[in-house]
Amino acid sequence: LKPAVMTENIRINNPNVKYTDTHIEAQYCYHTSAVRRDGDTLTVTPSVSELEFRTERRVPRLGVMLVGWGGNNGTTVTAAVLANRLGLTWRTKTGEQKANYYGSLFQSSTVCLGPGPDGKEVNIPFRDLLPMVHPNDIVFDGWDISSMDLGSAMERAEVLDWSLQEKLRPHMSCLRPRASIYIPEFIAANQAGRADNILKGTMAEQVEQIRADIQDFRHSSGVEKVIVLWTANTERFCDLTAGVNDTAKNLLAAIQSGGEVSPSTLFAVASILEGCAYINGSPQNTFVPGAIELAVERNVFIAGDDFKSGQTKIKSVLVDFLISAGIKPTSIVSYNHLGNNDGMNLSAPQQFRSKEISKSNVVDDMVNSNPILYRKGEKPDHCVVIKYVPYVGDSKRAMDEYTSEIMMGGTNTIAMHNTCEDSLLASPIILDLVLLTELCQRVCVRPQGSETFQSFHSVLAILSFMCKAPLIPPGAPLVNAYFRQRACIENIMRACLGLPPQNHMHLEHKLQRGFLPRHDNRIYDNVATKMVLSTGYHASQQNGVCAHVVKEATIG
Amino acid sequence: MTENIRINNPNVKYTDTHIEAQYCYHTTAVRRDGDTLTVTPSVSELEFRTERHVPRLGVMLVGWGGNNGTTVTAAVLANRLGLTWRTKTGEQKANYYGSLFQSSTVCLGAGPDGKEVNIPFRDLLPMMHPNDIVFDGWDISSMDLGSAMERAEVLDWSLQEKLRPHMSHLRPRASIYIPEFIAANQAGRADNVLKGTMAEQVEQIRADIQDFRHSSGVDKVIVLWTANTERFCDLTAGVNDTAKNLLAAIQSGGEVSPSTLFAVASILEGCAYINGSPQNTFVPGAIELAVERNVFIAGDDFKSGQTKIKSVLVDFLISAGIKPTSIVSYNHLGNNDGMNLSAPQQFRSKEISKSNVVDDMVNSNPILYHNGEKPDHCVVIKYVPYVGDSKRAMDEYTSEIMMGGTNTIAMHNTCEDSLLASPIILDLVLLTELCQRVCVRPQGSETFQSFHSVLAILSFMCKAPLVPPGAPLVNAYFRQRACIENIMRACLGLPPQNHMHLEHKLQRGFLPRHDNRIYDNVATKRVLSNGYHASQQNGVCAHVVKEATIG
Repeated sequence: LKPAVMTENIRINNPNVKYTDTHIEAQYCYHTSAVRRDGDTLTVTPSVSELEFRTERRVPRLGVMLVGWGGNNGTTVTAAVLANRLGLTWRTKTGEQKANYYGSLFQSSTVCLGPGPDGKEVNIPFRDLLPMVHPNDIVFDGWDISSMDLGSAMERAEVLDWSLQEKLRPHMSCLRPRASIYIPEFIAANQAGRADNILKGTMAEQVEQIRADIQDFRHSSGVEKVIVLWTANTERFCDLTAGVNDTAKNLLAAIQSGGEVSPSTLFAVASILEGCAYINGSPQNTFVPGAIELAVERNVFIAGDDFKSGQTKIKSVLVDFLISAGIKPTSIVSYNHLGNNDGMNLSAPQQFRSKEISKSNVVDDMVNSNPILYRKGEKPDHCVVIKYVPYVGDSKRAMDEYTSEIMMGGTNTIAMHNTCEDSLLASPIILDLVLLTELCQRVCVRPQGSETFQSFHSVLAILSFMCKAPLIPPGAPLVNAYFRQRACIENIMRACLGLPPQNHMHLEHKLQRGFLPRHDNRIYDNVATKMVLSTGYHASQQNGVCAHVVKEATIG
Repeated sequence: MTENIRINNPNVKYTDTHIEAQYCYHTTAVRRDGDTLTVTPSVSELEFRTERHVPRLGVMLVGWGGNNGTTVTAAVLANRLGLTWRTKTGEQKANYYGSLFQSSTVCLGAGPDGKEVNIPFRDLLPMMHPNDIVFDGWDISSMDLGSAMERAEVLDWSLQEKLRPHMSHLRPRASIYIPEFIAANQAGRADNVLKGTMAEQVEQIRADIQDFRHSSGVDKVIVLWTANTERFCDLTAGVNDTAKNLLAAIQSGGEVSPSTLFAVASILEGCAYINGSPQNTFVPGAIELAVERNVFIAGDDFKSGQTKIKSVLVDFLISAGIKPTSIVSYNHLGNNDGMNLSAPQQFRSKEISKSNVVDDMVNSNPILYHNGEKPDHCVVIKYVPYVGDSKRAMDEYTSEIMMGGTNTIAMHNTCEDSLLASPIILDLVLLTELCQRVCVRPQGSETFQSFHSVLAILSFMCKAPLVPPGAPLVNAYFRQRACIENIMRACLGLPPQNHMHLEHKLQRGFLPRHDNRIYDNVATKRVLSNGYHASQQNGVCAHVVKEATIG
């Protein structure tokens, strides 16, 4: 594998932004406001903090180790990266299909940089804002309690088109997961049949083996950096017990003595001790207080929990929309059924509880933000059901009903049926998680007056966008609202380039006369030059199949 | 109106009459040279001046006796009177749910406890309260508003009983009726129509506006069309291409739609005119007239139900890197709007208005869509009398996901047409009124200027936003909302919302101490909780969660 070649094609033309051979250094004004209430009056005090952002330009060779590599997500993300790297195409009944990264924030969505000379907005791939690893260059490795090679595991998953599987099998069959940690009581009993590839020995020995695996992978593959991500079974919640997992010291001692420590926490501890960022893609409480403390002590990034890929992602859009429009959701009911191994594992009550908890808090920040609609402590009814229905396989169904109160006692009812394709939606999110984590490891910030640069907090809250139940530093606000989370990532990446937050104002187009320098001035002083008569001042593009109708009606 | 927000900043001055704010407006210009994009940021210093005195506002509705007209009038009366009424599930209070300004909130910043302080959107700047609006209007049906409210079948019966004495004495003024512009099935309602030449009718509308202004004592009048959807008007050089030609066509009786006649009358009276229906009221001559007279116009077509959600969902999908490939929208409704739209020409106006709503989002993503590529997009509207005002919208969104996969979202939305549109009518007039009190002076300029006559900031409430020439068209819901919020913040000298929470994301805090909401290390070990997760639980699941967390 060749080292990643990354072309940076964005240049910021500003004296506050310096490009050195190794870094992008940007001076940035960060605006905040403090609010004080005195009786009925709110006093808002804006302030500005001057920050220096420094981003390493060199993109390292990245290795990603997946826990649950042989599962549906593990095989699908590995297959997708291989197919994209090889530029594979395959036939389906509707034509030729090309490998792509649809559903990835960084690979397939865009951000607006500003207007070009013609006044039109210039949109670029999100990944091009800053130097980032390209997913094609990721080297995968991982563990699984099932010994099946990845070619067979891909077939077991029943996710990818058969003609694509045929092309991928030679590349996938040689990949074999390393033996994993299996503590039966943490996952459903129905997983026992898969567990033929498990580590033996004491808990401490198993952690040592995981550390040795990470070292082995790092050395044998030649990657410079390893990130570990859990995409294995949902575990039951772990009891939080003083003396066992409340501090880093106690947690390490519990591992030595064989206390109650979940496999996912063991993987997290091994990663942290190896200095590798650890991301939890499942709902369980891997990050017990002792694990978080260990990450903070070692300056290692951790993030989670639970991929936000399907139903919850849309919920964090729709509820934000409704409440931000002044409409009051009063009942949210979500039924799911799925037939993959995740569904089978979740059919056990304890594992379902972990999932239910992860899904339950997703609207809280939006509800709490609107005291007009919700009095203190009031919340909408919120119910989540998940059923295991083998036939539907990986093609997860989500059926949601949102009932909202509208003006004067009226009711708005939205019923939604969403066919989610579990692993095809989760795989691009896995890529986004590791790529953003890797980028964050190359960014540091120096507040004015401080001598030293600091890194992001070990609890990497910027990854909230991809998580159902975001883990955040203590005291930080919890944000689930989709567009706020996305704006957070975009604006922090813009800050690394010294660019101010997106304001969406278009003020230069909204006043009577333009005020930007001439070549930038995209407003006419008066009514438009009388071009060919069109439908008033509306943009003239028409949409898809309706174009002929529109043309007829417009021209008369 | 109590202003309870104070900005503590030397760049913001409160005079007896104005709020004056110095503001740095950031833009970037992008130049492409081969593969390299050069981004040049720049800052424009602007002075925002907002009049603090809120005038007495009168709103004249065209189609006052329709479902929207009666519902919005009834809602304002019920709120002003503080009415409550019984329903089978309990007592209901009058409210303004669904209004951006009255019922949604904006975040001002962090309080001393580190928690975000959210305030009603309306409290950011001095704004009219809807309770203080005086309504008047026109309708081709002479029915009084009490009976028209009953005909609309929108509000609870027990509320109608309480409102009838207040509504019955309100009678719409005679309106302009040109049968060819609306469906033939509206003829039965048209018993309250102006006579005379086109020019005489425009004069009568102007006289009505003057009469309302004087008799009601309001300081300011805004006119809003919430009447029938008209067919599109032919755009003809010499007839409606310039202000002069349009005024001449009115004198000579050319092809001018009733809605354009109302717009012209309003503009000539100096009253802002808002078009809540899809037709092309704003022919080029009407826009030119508004620009010449410095009068605000805005439209088109209330964005209240299906299209509003579409502008959320498609934005979500494309912004997540998912490719919508087919969008199919079926609607049925049984109110008078539905009856009128059952005629082909009126339906076409609606279809056009609904068809462009995803274009800005599609065009913003050249990774998913090659140049000129668009998703299939089909809109059907059927008239089904039984469902009345309770409009149904059934949408199917099919999207391409990774590696040829398909995501299918099917949605059934019961929209309550007039209850969703009424708060939007209020938002439109309140924001228009506010914009009339805001002016901006770019640094180096001697004079303040107002917003452009084409009031694009109202895009948020419109299905097919009218924008000044060359301005980008934005349909994406959250971008539109951010636009309003950030412009109102600018009037207070506050920078745009950045959603970054950087003070919580670094290893050590950097804000001044009383503002410093980050711990230097791991949290104090309080009662063990679910990791670093926020501990609130949600509704009926609370007991389950508690059990699982504590073990």
